[in-house]
Order: sequence, then structure tokens, then C-alpha cells
Amino acid sequence: MNQSICLLGLNHRTAPVEVRERYALPDVDPREQGLIAPGSGVKETMILSTCNRVEFLSVGREKPGMALEILRFWAEFCGGDVHELQAHTYQYNNLDAVSHLFSVASSLDSMVLGEPQILGQLKQAYRRSVKQGTSGVVLNRLLHKSFSVAKRVRTETRVASNAVSISFAAVELAKRIFGDLSNQTAMLVGAGEMAELAATHLLSAGVKRLLIANRTHARGCELASRIQGEAVLFAELFERMAEADIIISSTGATQTVIQRRDVQAIMKRRRNRPMFFIDIAVPRDIDPDVNNLDNTYLYDIDDLKEVVEENLSQRKTEAAKAMVIVQEETEKFACWLRSLDLKPTILDLLASGERIARKELKKTLRRLGPKADDPQVREALETLVLSLGHKLYHQPLDFLKRRAREEDAGTRYIDITRRMFNLDNEPPAPDAHPDRRQPKPDED
Amino acid sequence: MNLTETLELIVLVLYFLGAVLHILAMLVRGPLLRYGGQAATLLGFGLHTVDIGLYVHRYEAVALGQGPFYFSLLAWTLIIVSLVLNWRLRMHFLALTALPLALIIYSFATTLPTVEVVLPESFMGLWFGLHIGTLFFSICLLAMAASSGVVYLFLENKIKGKAKITGLSKDLPSLSLFDQVNAWAVNLGFPLFTVGLLSGFLWAHFTWERFFSWDPKEVAAIIVWLLFAFLFHQRLVNGWRGRKPAKLAIWIFALSLVSMLGINFFLETHHSFQP
Repeated sequence: MNQSICLLGLNHRTAPVEVRERYALPDVDPREQGLIAPGSGVKETMILSTCNRVEFLSVGREKPGMALEILRFWAEFCGGDVHELQAHTYQYNNLDAVSHLFSVASSLDSMVLGEPQILGQLKQAYRRSVKQGTSGVVLNRLLHKSFSVAKRVRTETRVASNAVSISFAAVELAKRIFGDLSNQTAMLVGAGEMAELAATHLLSAGVKRLLIANRTHARGCELASRIQGEAVLFAELFERMAEADIIISSTGATQTVIQRRDVQAIMKRRRNRPMFFIDIAVPRDIDPDVNNLDNTYLYDIDDLKEVVEENLSQRKTEAAKAMVIVQEETEKFACWLRSLDLKPTILDLLASGERIARKELKKTLRRLGPKADDPQVREALETLVLSLGHKLYHQPLDFLKRRAREEDAGTRYIDITRRMFNLDNEPPAPDAHPDRRQPKPDED
Repeated sequence: MNLTETLELIVLVLYFLGAVLHILAMLVRGPLLRYGGQAATLLGFGLHTVDIGLYVHRYEAVALGQGPFYFSLLAWTLIIVSLVLNWRLRMHFLALTALPLALIIYSFATTLPTVEVVLPESFMGLWFGLHIGTLFFSICLLAMAASSGVVYLFLENKIKGKAKITGLSKDLPSLSLFDQVNAWAVNLGFPLFTVGLLSGFLWAHFTWERFFSWDPKEVAAIIVWLLFAFLFHQRLVNGWRGRKPAKLAIWIFALSLVSMLGINFFLETHHSFQP
């Protein structure tokens, strides 16, 4: 392998937020900045910069000190100190870098395990590197592979299932009680940040109507206009509560605001239609005894936390399964990287030609019938097809050998050849052009 | 093996296949298995309908006086009720109850000795259409409500108790859907049960010149009707929902089973299946 992959990065585990902020690289163009220049060693690069991680992925010639070169560039560009940066960064080389990237894409390295945002951010970073012209054969392949690994992880494991945030857990529970939320009305009692987040989740889950009752009516109105809800007067709280199926309470009151007897009266008016109370205030807003009434369900912040923690531990179990997939895919990628040397490609190409020739020979001998029993005929035919199989590839191989002597072109043409003759036996992507879904050349 | 026996065997195999595929679909979360189960059920139901048609065609009025025929009809009604509820409520879960239950009842029907009950021919149509038809539909609705009730109580306990909802429980429909099955059973089942009971009393009046004869089956039916009426009233007037109607539906169905299997087989009654 004459290509070296290097991943330098810092994340929420290795660097505090101020360091992550200082060394963030959201808009840098390494080509413009001269990092990719003749003699620099770096041939391809991509920068991933999110609030929780900054990663510098580079491909270049095997050269000692390439990582330090990148670190210097990075520190200088951000006006920081290379030693400080080094103290917070991790470095992965070659297959370790591949494996790490696959883990990042599959959200196995995220702060919230399995959260889907990272894949979108990675895709965005890759698009930017394509636009800047800093990605080449290896990065293109590596990034596309990382997207498909992430997809495989999501499909084959449950690492991304189950709610792992308080507000999302509340929505999941509401669905368990009411099923479809499109006919349900939700009410915010108090307009705190957490309640607002839960309300946003409920609205995106399809809740029909949202009422907001806040002690400061103006704040309620302001929030209502922002999230398309309806502000109600706090004095009319219990009057209007009968309309709501889901109540999210988050007032700053020091004592309970909603008592069992209030809910009992409301349930009578609602003719026992179920009500789901989510109490995210500390101290609590709703009398815990409300949960003992028929058709009422009360969850406080601790109950929801338990649901979230339980789901997180399930995700961790699934993450172990996902890591097996990542390792499997890293091995496959290693095979492809090795094949980028000229020799394996020549051998694969000749073997592919021989395979096709032998298949055709078998068919012809079958058609010849008794004549095929003559050893001389068989030998002549075998020599003919095998030499054809080899000679047809003579020109392409000669071309490849010449290109391989040119430093940049070799890898590109080898990759193209492997793809053109499908030497890696890869099935076409589901979204591939219909032409690519044709049978392989050596198929009948 | 004659045509009827072959047909019965095929129906049994299809119901069995339907039940197994539905259970497997639930266990491995496979929609393809569920579609297979639905196909087997529909095919089984179609052949079961043919079987019932052939039975009626062959025995005509006498068929209506035979125990096995009634059980076959009960299994058939159970399947159609579950299919209709599934279609209306998108609740595949019901197949998990209806199919095994129908399989047991239909197997029972195919092994039960034929007992002829001599009935006045003039009342056959009315008897079959109102008394048997309506009662069977309401009992099958009750069966669906009872099974939904059991799962409702299980799931509600978990939600109220803030227990972990893992494994198969995660794939269960919402509480409100289970309650809807109960609402269907009560709103539709109670009027049907009432019509079934009244037509039975009228038939008794025309046949034996008395409405009520303190027959154990009649007494059991009155108790079931009273409980059913209470449930109907509470749902309609007092807005009962969830846990209470779920529990009561289970009790009413259990009592109906006792009445149908216990009384019909083991007590002296004019509904007896004993030779």
C-alpha cells in the first residue's frame, strides 16, 4: 500500500468545549491554504467540524512527519499552539483511521450514541471537500463506504432505535397510550425550555393542537406565536385542561400546581378520555397520586430519565454488534486499498479474463458434441480462448503500467480499471444508473 | 377420505398455518410472515365458507340441528369478526387470538358426534338468522374484547408502573386501540346479543308456548345479558374506558364460555349437545 491514511482529531472526550471552539475548522480550504501542494505529501483531505468534534482526514504518500505537518498547519490556521493542539488530539493511521471513520459515521463515537445528525454532518463535510477538489480516489471510496457502513449499522442493529432524550421519550410514551397523535391536543403548563423542546417533538410527531398556559401571559403568547400554539390564561388553566390529552408541566412553582382532585374533576368532564401528564419541573408540579386515577398516566423527570437510561444501555449492547460490522467493513476496505497497487490488479484482471475464457470454452465444447472428445480439438480450442483472454488485456495493462509510473495518475487509473471490470465483485448501489444493474461480464 | 373431510382438513391446516405465521411474525417482527399468515387465513376462511355451504346444501334443515355445524359456524364467525376488526382498526394482533381459538373450535366441530335436534321447519330461518347468528356474532366480538382486555391490562400495568417496555411488548398497539376493540364489542355486541336473546324467547314461545323455562342455559344467558347491559350502560352513559370495561369484558366472555361448553355438554338443558 503506497497510500497512507491519517486521521487527526479532537472530540468531546479529549478536548473541552473552548478548545473545540478554538480549533474548529468550518470553512477552511486546504488547497487554497497550500496544504495540498507539490511536495507537501498530502494528496487528499477532508475536514469534519461539528460542535463535538474536529477531524482532519488526510491521504498522502507514506512519509514520516506528515501528521506533524498537518498539526502545524491546523494550529497556525487557527492561531493556536501546536503543543496545546497535540495535547488534545488523537491520531489514527491507515486501517485504524478507516475503522474510526466508520464508527463516527455510524454514530458509535458520538456523545449520544446512535444519534443520526453526525451522518448528515459527515456528508456535508465530504461534499465540501469534493467542491474544493481536495478529495481523490481513496477519500471518495472511503467516504462512500462510510455512508454505506452507517446504513448497514442502522438496518442490522437497533443502535439508533429507542428514545434517548427526555422529550423524545415523552413522545414515545404518548404514542404508546394514544397511538396516532394526529387527533391529540397537548398543553404546556409553564413555558420553560425543556417544555418547549418536548412540545416541538410533539408537534413534529403530528399533535393536532398545542395550548400554552403560562403565569406571564405575554411570554405564553410569544411562545405560542413562535411554535404555532394557542396561548391560554393561567387563570383558566383547569377550565382549558379538559381539552388537552397530553400535559407537559414545567412551572417554577415551589409546590404542586395540579392536584388529584383537579384531575378527577377534569376526567369526569372528559368522560374518562385518557390523559398523559409529563411533569418535568423540579420541584414537581403534579401530585404523584394523579397516576393512581383511572386512565391517567403521570411521568416525572426521574421516570423519564430511567426510560432514557434504559434505552441508552440497550443502545450500548447494540453498539457492540455494530462494532463487528465496522470491523468487517474495515477488512473489506483494506482489501480494496491493497488492490490499488498495480500487481494485484494485473493478476485480478488476467484471472477475470481466464475465468470468462474457460466459461465460454465449456459452452463451446458442449455444443460441439462428440467432436469435443478429440484431445487435439480440445487443446487447440483451450489455447485459443486462453490466449485471447490474456491478449485482449495486453493494451489496457500496458496503459496501466505506464500510468502507474506517473505519481498521481496511477492510483486513479487502477481504481477506474477495477471498477470498469468489476474486479471487486461489488453489487451496484441501489440508486445506481440502470446500466450498472446489468449482469456482470462473466455471467451467462 | 371424502370431499368434506378433505376440505375440513385443508381448512384446519390453513388456520394452523395462519396462526403459526402470525405468531412467528410477532416474534421475529417480519411483515412478510404476517402477509403469509393473512393469506393462509383468507384462503382458509374461503374454503371454510364453501364447507359450510356444502353442509347446508347436503343436510338442509337438518344441518341446523347438528352440534358440529354450530361449532363450525362459531369458528367461521370468529374469523370474520377478527377480519372485520382488523380491517377497521388495523389491528393484526387480533389474529393471534382469533386463529388459535377458531382452530380449536373447528377441530372440535370436526370430531364431535352428530346429534340431531328435531326442529319445526317453519321456524328454521328465523331461528338461524336471529338467535344463532346474532348471538354468535356478539360472542365472537366478546372474545376479541376479552383478548384485547387481557393485553390492555398487561400493557397498562407496565405503563402505570413505569416498567421497562421491552421485547414483544414494544410491538404491541397503543392502549387506545385495545380500548377501541372493547368499544366495538360493546356497541355492536350488546344490541346483537339482545336481539339473539329475544328471538330465542320468541321461538320458545311459538314452539313450547312459554317464553322462559328456567333452563340453566337460559338463566346463564340472562346473567350474561345483565352484565353486558351494565357494561353497555357504563360505557355509554358514564363514559367507562380502559381498565374497567376490559376487566368486565373478560368476565362476560368467560361466563359465555362456561355457558356454551359447560352447560351445553354437562347439564340437562334443551340446548344440550349430549346424545
